[in-house]
Amino acid sequence: MASTRDIRRRIKSVKNTRQITKAMELVAASKMKKAQQAALAGRAYAQLMSDMLASLAPRVSELQHPFLVQREIKTRGILLVTTDKGLCGPLNANLFKIVTEIKTPVKFFAVGRKGAQFLSRTHRDLVADFVVQDRVPFSEVKVAVELMVQKYLDGEIDTVEVIYPRYKNTLVQEPTLRPVLPLASLASFIEQAHTESGTAVKRDDRDMLFEPGAAQVLEALLPFYVNRLVYQLVLSARASEHSARMVAMKTAKDNATKLVGELSLEYNKARQAAITQEILEIAASSFAA
Amino acid sequence: MSLTLEIVTPEARVYSDTIDTVVIPTVDGEIGILPGHIPLLTQVADGELRVTKDGKDQFLVIGAGFAQVEGDKVSILAERAITEDKIDEKAVEEALKRADTQLKDSAHLDPAEQETLHSLVRFAGVQLELKRRKR
Repeated sequence: MASTRDIRRRIKSVKNTRQITKAMELVAASKMKKAQQAALAGRAYAQLMSDMLASLAPRVSELQHPFLVQREIKTRGILLVTTDKGLCGPLNANLFKIVTEIKTPVKFFAVGRKGAQFLSRTHRDLVADFVVQDRVPFSEVKVAVELMVQKYLDGEIDTVEVIYPRYKNTLVQEPTLRPVLPLASLASFIEQAHTESGTAVKRDDRDMLFEPGAAQVLEALLPFYVNRLVYQLVLSARASEHSARMVAMKTAKDNATKLVGELSLEYNKARQAAITQEILEIAASSFAA
Repeated sequence: MSLTLEIVTPEARVYSDTIDTVVIPTVDGEIGILPGHIPLLTQVADGELRVTKDGKDQFLVIGAGFAQVEGDKVSILAERAITEDKIDEKAVEEALKRADTQLKDSAHLDPAEQETLHSLVRFAGVQLELKRRKR
């Protein structure tokens, strides 16, 4: 049996750990609230925009806009959105699982340090990694998107996709692979999302009118759409990160509390045993005398 | 027959209701939408949006974006939007001043950011105009 002093020392160290995880939980909780608000507020916007594009895609197939044309996919371009710091449960590991399942040639782009580290560690083709601050400024995400779009237009990559932890609620974050470009794949993705959630969209089959002109509207809408969509995905990833971290820290704190309880019990038993032992010895010696 | 109008900004869903008609400010001038309108996609300009519901007019001020009409649904994506009753004249004036000073030394900013500032100024201008006309 461990000596009482050893146990006391362990209790102290576990209590320290509990203090730290508790503080981290509180920090994550307050960040989470902000990130969740941002993600949820933007969701309606992104949803409506995707719907708009989806209904648009089949109507403008004759327009040769590079974002719309489906070309042969040789190299996929994937933006991997991860966290900068660890201690957020299996969040990043789940994303990496999707990455390892991809066998076709891919060029990667990364937001978040963990993702960049993983990609270079596993010797994948990492083109660029970007740092995005915690409050997610639009301009920082835009830089990443613009680079990908440039590569897409140059023909270096034939798709633009995003792997990110989709924020469902505080406890559930779904690792998701979301196609962004070309838009042909978008239409089927949206349809699928609608069938899953059971909300059918009513289609109007008459020809669509464009003001001032189809080309001008698309020229403005498509780049705007890509920027906005990816921005929304990064926001969602941030909300996921803080939620996952809070949950992980809460579990750690609860575990520490449980451990302290168990150790205290063991400590009390050891102390009791020592006292009993002492009494026995005193009694024995007084009998002998 | 009625239309459903939905106005969404990155921050919130500003308006969602069934209405009779809506007049949207676009880059080519105003477009009035009635039920049964042909599908339409257009670029929205900063300006005033007029909604008619049950014979009553409601006004909104809207920032640049896109509008789509499909079936009986009018969807508007805007950078900014505010309903008339939420406009706070003092706050708008202050915002206008702030944007103006930022614009004055904006030579180092990239064109996209400059455009955002210009759009903010226009947005504030339309709000003030609407408020003053109503008085």
